[in-house]
Amino acid sequence: MSDDPAEPVADRSAELLSAFPGVRVDPDNAAYYSGLLERRLLLNQCTGCETWHHPPRPICPACWSTDVSAQDIQGSGTVALVTILRQGPRQPGVDYEGGHVLVAVELDEQSGLRVPGTVVGVPAEEVAVGDRVQLVWTDIGDGVAPRPDFELAQ
Amino acid sequence: MSASRDRIARNPARDQVAIVGIGRSPYSRDRDGCSPGSLVLEACIDAVGDAGLAKEDIDGLIGSTVSAQWVQAALGIPAVSYFANPPIIIGNQLVAAVGAVHSGVCDTVLMYHHGYRLPWASRRAAQDPMRRRSTVGVADPRSWWGTGHNDPGSNSLFGSSAYAAWAGRYLHDYGYGRESLGHIALNSRTNAASNPGAVYREPLTMDAYLDGRMVRDPLTVYDMDIPVDGADAFIVTTAERARDLPHPSVLVHAATLGHTDYGSEEQLRDLDHSGQVVVAERLWARSEVELADVDVFYPYEGFSNIALAWFESVGYCGRGEGGEFVADHWIEAEQRIVIEGRIPVNTHGGSLSEGGTQGAGHLREACMQLRGAAGSRQVDDARVALVTPGGFYFNSQGLILRTDI
Ligand SMILES: [Zn+2]
Repeated sequence: MSDDPAEPVADRSAELLSAFPGVRVDPDNAAYYSGLLERRLLLNQCTGCETWHHPPRPICPACWSTDVSAQDIQGSGTVALVTILRQGPRQPGVDYEGGHVLVAVELDEQSGLRVPGTVVGVPAEEVAVGDRVQLVWTDIGDGVAPRPDFELAQ
Repeated sequence: MSASRDRIARNPARDQVAIVGIGRSPYSRDRDGCSPGSLVLEACIDAVGDAGLAKEDIDGLIGSTVSAQWVQAALGIPAVSYFANPPIIIGNQLVAAVGAVHSGVCDTVLMYHHGYRLPWASRRAAQDPMRRRSTVGVADPRSWWGTGHNDPGSNSLFGSSAYAAWAGRYLHDYGYGRESLGHIALNSRTNAASNPGAVYREPLTMDAYLDGRMVRDPLTVYDMDIPVDGADAFIVTTAERARDLPHPSVLVHAATLGHTDYGSEEQLRDLDHSGQVVVAERLWARSEVELADVDVFYPYEGFSNIALAWFESVGYCGRGEGGEFVADHWIEAEQRIVIEGRIPVNTHGGSLSEGGTQGAGHLREACMQLRGAAGSRQVDDARVALVTPGGFYFNSQGLILRTDI
């Protein structure tokens, strides 16, 4: 975790709702989605006991404090789960033909803290459980928020 | 999972509630002109008749996406004192029924579940223009399962993608090949051959399985439940009243749901922290029968890897040993699993070959076996059935059913 407090995220409700049309954006996850627009992956951390959790909830599941805030993560972690999607609904930035690899990355911040994503830059079949990965941002196209992806660590 | 043994073992409803009626709307892959409601009603009428009852005898209704209120009006059931629409899958409906009947909130419950081929499930379903309207006004699956997922985006891991990812993790961690999953798929297909109500009955070989079209690695078309049109319905009442009704009673000996505090699929720590583990602990604590007493076993296999984990969770073998256990109890000449040469598994063909109805088929078949009414696939002297609907999260469930003697 970072020693510096995160930059506050501006209130951009209208922009948020139009940037994520299919998503149930609400006060509990607005900071997470706002972060994506700024190419920042922000996860909730308890100010009191420092426990991270994801997806975002309004309280800390460990100590029930309501004092949770969305914090930048380092972006490094280990692949915990992998599958390859060979078919599915058409979505921007997804190629089922070559196989869309889908992973859960266990972040270095905390054991068991995982975020879903894809791994770019290598054929889908080359991604395996245990691989070290690093956060990268993918621009999908006009009107679509940057996507937090991963690449294999050097 | 550290609750005291006394607290989790409390089971005042043990053997006090019975399944007395079974009804079906036959499973099909090529049926036109049906709606979810029409399928449900067909099964419900069949079940009420099977129980030897009339609609006036029904005073509890438990449904789901076809609501209890809709069914009550459609069937003209004059008055109910309990109704609910729990989320799928079938154990939720049965646990609610047991609670309602045993508490006396109502006396006789009609519960049901349907499958309906959605337009994206098959080319044929997609050609039916009315099916495209069938989900209008229905919350999407993320909401049905109560998972609270907000984001349907391309990088989200839920539903089948997450089960596939956990299947891959299982093979990775314990060093199995896809043959382990294949045993589950072949077992279902072999048993389906003896079930005239199953939609896929032609034999499946391991070679054909391994060549199966990959959908979400490592799960193929053979590892994922088969969308069907069809429905099952059950009548649930007191064990006492059951003794006056036409069929042998099927008693609910113990029933439970199980969940742990992981609110989305990718956060589940590991299979030792899944809902299945809670189910097994509670189920055996509340039961007077043991695993060795089980005559027929119905591990849910809507995704094949779920069943391998159930063998482990209920205690047939240790964590990670499911693939090996299934191979050890594989009868090559029969192309199916028979535990200790005695206990067949998913005798009806399961979600992978009878048709995918979220455990309703598993429950129905367990009841038919305990009635001694399973026809050519009847297991001799079947007295105790273990049914474990559901997967790792949101819907892990366990039921021990037994005959009334
Ligand atoms: Zn806390």
